[in-house]
Amino acid sequence: MKNLRDAVVLFVVLILQSTMAQRIAIAGVKPDLLVAFVVYFAWMRGPIPGVTAGFTVGLLQDLDAPGPLGLNAFAKTVVAFMVAKAGFRVHRSNVGVRFFFFLLAMLVHDVIYFGVYTAGELSALVRQFVFVAIPSALYTTVLVLLLLATVERFSKTLLLTDEV
Amino acid sequence: MFRLLFARRGDWAAFTVACVLSLTLMSLGRAQQERAVWFIQHTVLAPANVVVGWVDAGVGVYWENQKLKKRLAQIQIEADEMRTDRVENARLRRLLSLSQENPSDLTAARVTARSLDRLGGSLTIDKGEKDGVLPNRAVITPEGLVGRVERATAHEARVLTLLHRDCAVAVRVGRSRVDGVLQWEFGERPVLSLLYVSSQEDVKQGDWVLTSGLGGIFPEGVRVGTVVQVGIAENGLMKEVSVKPAVDFRSLEEVLVYMPAGSGRGPRMPSLEATAPDSAAYGNPAAAAPQRAPAPGGPEKKAERAEPPERASQARASGDSAQSGVAQ
Repeated sequence: MKNLRDAVVLFVVLILQSTMAQRIAIAGVKPDLLVAFVVYFAWMRGPIPGVTAGFTVGLLQDLDAPGPLGLNAFAKTVVAFMVAKAGFRVHRSNVGVRFFFFLLAMLVHDVIYFGVYTAGELSALVRQFVFVAIPSALYTTVLVLLLLATVERFSKTLLLTDEV
Repeated sequence: MFRLLFARRGDWAAFTVACVLSLTLMSLGRAQQERAVWFIQHTVLAPANVVVGWVDAGVGVYWENQKLKKRLAQIQIEADEMRTDRVENARLRRLLSLSQENPSDLTAARVTARSLDRLGGSLTIDKGEKDGVLPNRAVITPEGLVGRVERATAHEARVLTLLHRDCAVAVRVGRSRVDGVLQWEFGERPVLSLLYVSSQEDVKQGDWVLTSGLGGIFPEGVRVGTVVQVGIAENGLMKEVSVKPAVDFRSLEEVLVYMPAGSGRGPRMPSLEATAPDSAAYGNPAAAAPQRAPAPGGPEKKAERAEPPERASQARASGDSAQSGVAQ
């Protein structure tokens, strides 16, 4: 049941990313809902499901990405693993913790992605990081936190629960 | 070995496998990568692509609909503005054509304020002494007489309209050439009255009333209004004549200030007279007062020349007295 729900959520996020992200871009800054989903999933389910989801989602994204095949899969795998390991026994319900985790995970993802994509050229990496990665990470984090808060408010259940 | 690794460090093993797979894919050649992508897209993801295509089309229609609605609203606003501009354009064209007929006599001005009272006894215009607009200049529109300038500052002026009791005008009934003074009377029933008209004079309902030019403020022949009611005063000696102004004072936006050349008795206003509905009647000797003989030299001049001298002087005297009282 839980797996089915996760599959449905992933499917919805995929559709939203491919249909809505371009339309809700602000000054050219698009949200990356797939990274947010990987972070959420890895945080909630743990390392192995998180790594599996990160690799799968990244690979799907690679199919339509300009970069080399496997780059998104690699970046999301790393991020999923880090979040799953570091997010153990933290207050997931806390808004500040959520903000920190989502933002940091997305920045790490983009550092890996742009680091490989720019072939290690530092000036290009810094430019991409400042003008693309940071705005996109901030936008996505705020959007995801709003979405989580809205869903939690209406469903009256915490989507990111604390460890018991 | 692997079993042990996955049992104890399953998370690390999964991570390692995923990383190795990713890096392997990245290290593939371009052609191999394209083949792999094509295979996955056209086999594994084909159904998902169809669903995404449907959703994208639906969302696209919604967004396009929103965009078109917004555009429609903008176009609606632009159309409204164009309609307003067209009306203003027509009005300004009429003013301009009148102004071009007498280029040195008229100055166009915009109404910037109206009097606070409901009767609308005065206006403020955006031309003042710097533009040659001085007190006691006549103010007109293509429809007819508005009033006179009461006082002027450097860049604006206050205009007393016909609906002000201090704005009396020497007028003449177009058809019968009867002179009188038109003045706003604020009684039980506020009305624009034609004063000093003897009960013997020929004034009928529907007659046009024009300025007579007596008094030196208003040019001769400007349409002022229409006679709407004629009665006899209680003493039986004078007529009580009510006149409806030709100008709608509530909708005034632009006016023309008349600049007399020097004598104070300005030129006639042919365009206004020509448009008066009874201009032919009062200009035509046959249609005018029967006792007046036709005279050569233009329809209006004929009638003026036909006036008996004592009657003309009497009329001028009454007009002058009224104008002098106003012009103070």
